[in-house]
Amino acid sequence: MAEGGDVEWELSKENIQPLRRGRDISALHQALSQQQDGLSSAIIQQRQAFESELRMYDGDDPLDVWDQYIKWTEQTFPQGGKESNLTTLLERAVTRFTEGNKYHEDPRYVELWIKFAENCPEPLDTYRYMQAQGIGVTQASLYIAWSEEHENQGNCRKADLVYQEGFKKCAEPHDKLLQFHKALQARVSRQVMMIVENDNSDDEPKQLERNSLAELKRRGKKKAIAPINRVGSSIRSISGGLQSIGAPVLGNASNSRLVVFDENRTQIAGPSEPTLESWAAPPTSRAKENEQNPEKWSDVKIPQKSKFGHAVMAPPPPKPTFQPFVEESDQLPTMTPCKINPAVNTVLSARKPCREETPLKRLQEHHQQQKEAESGKLQEQSMYCKELLLSGAAEFCIEELRAERYFKKVTQEDGGQKDAASASP
Amino acid sequence: MTGSNEYKLNQGPEDSISAVKFSPNAAQFLLVSSWDCTVRLFDVGANTMRMKYQHSAPVLDCAFYDPTHSWSGGLDAQLKTHDLNTDQDTIVGAHDAPIRCVEYCPEVNVMVTGSWDRSVRLWDPRTPCNAGTFTQPEKVYTLSVAGDRLIVGTAGRRVLVWDLRNMGYVQQRRESSLKYQTRCIRAFPNKQGYVLSSIEGRVAVEYLDPSQEFQKKKYAFKCHRLKEEGIEQVYPVNAISFHSIHNTFATGGSDGFVNIWDPFNKKRLCQFHRYPTSIASLAFNNDGTMLAIAASYMHEKGDINHPEDAIFIRQVTDAETKPKST
Repeated sequence: MAEGGDVEWELSKENIQPLRRGRDISALHQALSQQQDGLSSAIIQQRQAFESELRMYDGDDPLDVWDQYIKWTEQTFPQGGKESNLTTLLERAVTRFTEGNKYHEDPRYVELWIKFAENCPEPLDTYRYMQAQGIGVTQASLYIAWSEEHENQGNCRKADLVYQEGFKKCAEPHDKLLQFHKALQARVSRQVMMIVENDNSDDEPKQLERNSLAELKRRGKKKAIAPINRVGSSIRSISGGLQSIGAPVLGNASNSRLVVFDENRTQIAGPSEPTLESWAAPPTSRAKENEQNPEKWSDVKIPQKSKFGHAVMAPPPPKPTFQPFVEESDQLPTMTPCKINPAVNTVLSARKPCREETPLKRLQEHHQQQKEAESGKLQEQSMYCKELLLSGAAEFCIEELRAERYFKKVTQEDGGQKDAASASP
Repeated sequence: MTGSNEYKLNQGPEDSISAVKFSPNAAQFLLVSSWDCTVRLFDVGANTMRMKYQHSAPVLDCAFYDPTHSWSGGLDAQLKTHDLNTDQDTIVGAHDAPIRCVEYCPEVNVMVTGSWDRSVRLWDPRTPCNAGTFTQPEKVYTLSVAGDRLIVGTAGRRVLVWDLRNMGYVQQRRESSLKYQTRCIRAFPNKQGYVLSSIEGRVAVEYLDPSQEFQKKKYAFKCHRLKEEGIEQVYPVNAISFHSIHNTFATGGSDGFVNIWDPFNKKRLCQFHRYPTSIASLAFNNDGTMLAIAASYMHEKGDINHPEDAIFIRQVTDAETKPKST
């Protein structure tokens, strides 16, 4: 059993999303071995139990259920992804408790917000929103996460400012904040040192190494796009202090200096210095996949791949320099011929694609609606318990909700008796 | 309140009514399933309860297989068939979660059940035994049979069309054209399409043929909404039933109203008086002369005080159910 789990874990290491708090190894084994083919019924049942608990809970700490549910989801779906529903879940959880200040300084709630922010396309906006709403402003974890985000985007000055803000607000725990702030300072100074060192050393082009499993910096502000080149400056600076100075992870590119080819110099620096060894065999090519055997050049057509995967024979003709005559009555074809057989699906989903929206925008809209509802501006009123049906990550129907109440009542009435009876048939 | 063309059934269920279904051949027999864990058979003409049988938990749906056999399932996840002549129970099988819908498909001679365990199961009514389990993407909320096709409405506003003669693959995967949760789907008796109702006062008329020509004809409209003090109150549309001859249909909502619609001229044919509470289920009888109306609070606003659950039988006329030819 344990061995099977080990194999599973060896095979799918790269599919496991890192968690701040780490993972429970037994939960991981279980999750990996269960997820062979879709969701197992045990997981579905457990999720259903959480969903109904969310709706049935009537104690004074509703956040607790959410917190447990989200932690369970993280542990059960190590790959993350759509199936886990984690993003929806975080969004709902965060939205649920924005009204009323009950949880605004609760470390668990702030933790959920940070997880939510990390799932947003633009985490910084979310942190600013938290600050504006007064959520977690005295929690060290907010400032740490915020600062790290700035740092990841390469803005160390702002990262530092965030810590200053944290100190001003007397965020707790103070020690932790101080410790992370020091670590940031250390990283920044190390980076500066490295740049200076690189400047001093001669600019001999170094072979950049592809660093496996290194985290990548994201390009672009709006959408996080991981770069294609997995070397040099695109790798996030490694926060640990274990790297040796001789092997700079931040390569030349961070100096942003263009290395100009110098004829004389290369000849002197001579990696091409003649060696006296005789060539027994041609050197093996390092990039084998690009090797082409010599062949006849004439009458050879290079197959070109178009965007759609069809082979294109000739390059498109250049644009004509004149304006082609178009008769006025001539209308452009209104419909491009549909490639996909209309019998298949697409025609059948009638809803227009909704406008692009970020989770944060949705959240703000929700807030707005709430305000409008309070001030009585709302035009429509749903005549059923809408909040209860939709409050979790999965939806319930009216009958399901009633069924949950029924089952709860039955178990309460029968007490342990029925359980014992059904357990030993 | 009840006029000469309408009366209340005696000895009705003691808790909410989940479904009412008329017998396929005999105009006067009505099957009623309820949250009081019973399924009852009524002789509507004589206004008497002929028999009832029990489940171990509330029953969510029931259906006639033939005039003498009823099938039913509910929260206990067990599928039962009951011989109405000999009063004998048989447990046919079970789902992994409560059974939400039970239907019979006469063309293929198969019983169909849908459950919150995200599956549809087929049952051979002669043996009777399981004839296949078919996983759906989400919890099944409603289903309807159109000839040899099966239309399944699930959570997540999905609609799946299966071919009951070839269940190897899903024939069509659709998205509900309504924005909110699907409450009920019923197929046209002419098998060309179906009507879908949502939890927020809206009904859509859809066609099965995926060609552009047919898809152009689909539409949706608002209904079961009441204006009170400038605020529009939007009610769930819980029930749909088709008139077998005219292809018109009745809808019932949590506002307590029953409307009859002409889908071809896009007109409302009539609206009955307001019933004391939510309309949970509706059924026309086989010749379309009677409509059974289950007025029964469905706990859509929580466990609060509510009027008594009741079943009304209403004689309907052609004026109320026939499309006006212009």
